[in-house]
Amino acid sequence: MEANNIQLFSIFGIFIVMLFIAGLYCILMTRNMMRALIGLEILTKAVTVLLILAGYVTGNMAFAQSIVITLIIIEVVVIAITAGVILSIYRHTNSLDRSTIRDLKG
Amino acid sequence: MPALFFLIPLIGVITLNLPFRKLMKKTAFWFAAVLFIFQIVLVSSHRTSFWGTGLVQGSFFNVNFYVDHLTLIMLFSISIVSLASLLVARAMISDENKRFNFINLLITAAIGMNGIVMVKDIFSLYVFLEVAAVSAFIMITINKDKPALEGAFKYILLSAIATIMMLSSIGLLLLIAGDTSFGAISAAISSSPQSMLVKLAMAIFLCGLFIKGGLIPFHGWLPDAYSAAAAPASVLLAGIVTKVSGIYTLIRIVTSLFGFTPAVSKVLLLIGAASIVIGAFAALGQKDLKRMLAYSSISQVGYIIIGFGTGSVLGVTGAVFHLFNHAIFKSLLFVNAAAVEKEAGTVDMDRLGGLSQTMPITGTTSAIAFLSTSGIPPLAGFWSKVIIIIALWQAGYIAYAAVAVLTSVLTAAYLITMQRKAFFGNIAPGLERTKEAPLAICVASIILAAVTVGVGVFFPFVFNNFIMPVKEILIK
Repeated sequence: MEANNIQLFSIFGIFIVMLFIAGLYCILMTRNMMRALIGLEILTKAVTVLLILAGYVTGNMAFAQSIVITLIIIEVVVIAITAGVILSIYRHTNSLDRSTIRDLKG
Repeated sequence: MPALFFLIPLIGVITLNLPFRKLMKKTAFWFAAVLFIFQIVLVSSHRTSFWGTGLVQGSFFNVNFYVDHLTLIMLFSISIVSLASLLVARAMISDENKRFNFINLLITAAIGMNGIVMVKDIFSLYVFLEVAAVSAFIMITINKDKPALEGAFKYILLSAIATIMMLSSIGLLLLIAGDTSFGAISAAISSSPQSMLVKLAMAIFLCGLFIKGGLIPFHGWLPDAYSAAAAPASVLLAGIVTKVSGIYTLIRIVTSLFGFTPAVSKVLLLIGAASIVIGAFAALGQKDLKRMLAYSSISQVGYIIIGFGTGSVLGVTGAVFHLFNHAIFKSLLFVNAAAVEKEAGTVDMDRLGGLSQTMPITGTTSAIAFLSTSGIPPLAGFWSKVIIIIALWQAGYIAYAAVAVLTSVLTAAYLITMQRKAFFGNIAPGLERTKEAPLAICVASIILAAVTVGVGVFFPFVFNNFIMPVKEILIK
């Protein structure tokens, strides 16, 4: 890595770690299912930035680009299905609170 | 050629969803059945010219497919468990539209799993993992009842975290190697094995796989998802989806990317032993039949991991053999649970009893499955457990071997309790009018029971011809 790249790497690295912490905090601290979904989105964004950075540093931008586009498509599918599940839960319980779905135990 | 395992189902799913839905709804079941039987036949005749000799490689749009003996065993398990799930779906899902959707999702999940076991590229692996997982999410909630939605939500959340961990590890590996194919990454790792970045990537990836496979510190989602899922989905999920996406991937990644370092071995042995013991104790206290089977699944997966953790030839082959056996007998137990659910209307073991009198086929196949799970000779489960225990002893892990043997007794204990409460003894009040499960479920349970007995009785032939060649994954 050149000096320029190392500087870039550290700046982006801090940003990625901050995104990770924000996403994890969002998932762990909230009881709202929609917010948990948003937390997942933030985590995925952190990973996307990491992949782009890895492609840039290794001089492999075209490859990283194809990976990131695939990742975005898959992410949209997962988010759509999760939102569908949350919508169905809402129709059963009329609430988005995670604590209303605690039937399964043991 | 191996790309066909992925292309034919894909074209099939697209064709099924063209116009003429009425005709397609009738043919969907038979199309899927033929597809899975075709896969069973092709895989079991792997010495024919279709495969060529030895290893087979092929590529499709720059995705390299690669078939070795481990892949063959997994392809066989995938097709047979999917077939069982298809038959259960025919009997359990009465609404025609839902059944059509379920069959489409089942074929999609099979595409995803076939892809997982054939790729040689870590990013394609992630893509196929998501294909299989996403179809599983929808299959769990096919009836849209509240417990299933709750189980699915937990599964989705933890599975998404697991894939995010894997992706971050892929990002780090891309940073180290500059490419995502197994060969490039493994070369880069062996050139700098002590790098902190490699260790970090390895730790994150393994944690993600432990979540996917439902091993002990990360097992929170598994009993909920298994017990609440629609019956045919629970057969598929317990039988093969978590095994392919968690355990097979673990075996493949450790052998062809990271290699057996002492630290990896130690972690695998510890997590395996914890899963065996805690899973078995948790299963002892369950009242719900499907929930008990889910905890038993955690315990059996622990055996696979502990055998794999030895890193010796015998341990790895034993682990792969137990992976295969577990896929067969656990899906058999879930098929029987589906039959009980359908006929008796409940899976609460306190309200069941004496079902062997009214459901002889279900009772008998359930007895075969539980004897195989608890390791009674000459059934298949005995041989794989014996191999794992011998491998542990030979590698010098005597304490772990003792844990494996003693917990085997515990396994027998909770499964005998299950069998006695649900199937033996006097018939429970209100269940006198139950009758044998529908034909489709009986066919599924008879096929799976036949495989369990056959593999056990013809053990030397099966082991030498199909399981032993798996040791090639240890030689790079």
